[in-house]
Amino acid sequence: MDSNEKTWKCGKCGVPLVVKKTVFSYLGRTFTHEVQRCPKCGNVFIPRDLAEGRMAEVEQQMEDK
Amino acid sequence: MSQIIRHTQSVCPVCLKRLPADIVRDGQEYFLEKTCPEHGRFSAVVWRGDAPSFEAWGDYVPPEDDGAPDCPASCGLCPAHLRKTCCALVEVTARCNLKCPVCFADAGGGSGEPTVGALYDIFRQLVRQGNTFVQLSGGEPTVRHDLPEIVAAAKKAGCENIQLNSNGLRLGADPAFAKALKDAGLSFVFMQFDGTEDGIYEKLRGRPLLAEKKAAIRVCGELRLGVTLVPTVVPGVNDHNIGDIVNFALRGSPAVRGVHFQPVSYFGRYPKAPENKDRITLPEVLCAVERQTGGTIKVSDFAPSCCDHPRCGFHGDFVVLPKGMLLRLTNNKKSSCCGDDAHLKNRSFVSRRWTRTDDGAPDPEGADYRDMDTFLKRVRSHGFTISAMAFQDAYTLDLERLRTCSLHVFRDGRVIPFCRSYLTSMDGNRAGT
Repeated sequence: MDSNEKTWKCGKCGVPLVVKKTVFSYLGRTFTHEVQRCPKCGNVFIPRDLAEGRMAEVEQQMEDK
Repeated sequence: MSQIIRHTQSVCPVCLKRLPADIVRDGQEYFLEKTCPEHGRFSAVVWRGDAPSFEAWGDYVPPEDDGAPDCPASCGLCPAHLRKTCCALVEVTARCNLKCPVCFADAGGGSGEPTVGALYDIFRQLVRQGNTFVQLSGGEPTVRHDLPEIVAAAKKAGCENIQLNSNGLRLGADPAFAKALKDAGLSFVFMQFDGTEDGIYEKLRGRPLLAEKKAAIRVCGELRLGVTLVPTVVPGVNDHNIGDIVNFALRGSPAVRGVHFQPVSYFGRYPKAPENKDRITLPEVLCAVERQTGGTIKVSDFAPSCCDHPRCGFHGDFVVLPKGMLLRLTNNKKSSCCGDDAHLKNRSFVSRRWTRTDDGAPDPEGADYRDMDTFLKRVRSHGFTISAMAFQDAYTLDLERLRTCSLHVFRDGRVIPFCRSYLTSMDGNRAGT
């Protein structure tokens, strides 16, 4: 199961995370992606497959070779 | 007033004997200077201008030693060589369907050609050594009717990236042949493309060729075979056309994957001994890109080669967006492409950038390229790279640079750095190995 599909709770606030479009900045560029986010404190959960997949590819493309 | 800023080693352009040499600064020009006890003093410009400056270009610490004492006379990658092979060039023929006044390979002669079986053995040997990126070169490889079989042999041997170095004439005139190459496993084409004006081809290649070049790009585009345009830049011939070449290539995206500039170097066949006015250096090419594109592309969008010596080349990576918009990717000067695996990183990089992977479907109207998925899809499909490689000839050869070369030519069972492999003396004789 995709880890993004699980419903997680915020470790700090104890409330369920909600999926929300979130802005990421990297090397001067901003990107948006839907991730689970705490509606109270704004902390986001980055699932492993996103970190090792698309985010890693963005990093590779932006950081040249 | 001139000032010596670096000691290095070079060769005499007449006898090709190794000589101590200096990099000498005179104002904003840098020269490689050397004196042969027998043939006198030689001075060749290697860098002009300060945008970027010679000193600031590339975070590179030169080796403390002078390399192997018999370098470059005896060559075939010795332990003193500082880079492994990124791309291995294999000559499949010496024949050519043009007779260019300028030709690094001095092509056009010779009748003996390696058989497909012999080439398969070469590809196997390269793959066993970890060299899975090959460039089929010549001569003009497409004069061989069995070229699709050669590509298939490279594929069968385990080559992952098979690049064709071609003038494109046959690709445009014979779409069935181009298709056979693609079907056999050809990855991408490095296509000689000196400009957007026929007058340039008349001077450099002996006849107008623009329509044939456009036909080749069209055929490769229909076959989804990525094409990188490769201009040989010659002062007074096509240095005014650099911006137009870039703009032409951008309009051809995604079929055209980028432009790879090669400032003219004087080995193989050239009309007369070069003077410094006959040379154009990397910073001049970079400044011309900025000036002639009206600042759309800037010098600061580029980074030095890391797979090779920084003074051997540059690259700038972009994404072509709809309506001619351009997104810069190379905004950091600190490339990670250094160290023992630099050749592997570069191989992966060029494969990613030069291979065409799009499905041909246009992006939806109003696509948001800030969205991570949309951005990644676009960078995969419409990545665009402007790069350059400044080859060294007998006048400009700097052994410090030669030792970091990762573009190697397969010859007589060995791989040899490109500029060493094609090194010729003033009278056109190729250096022995």
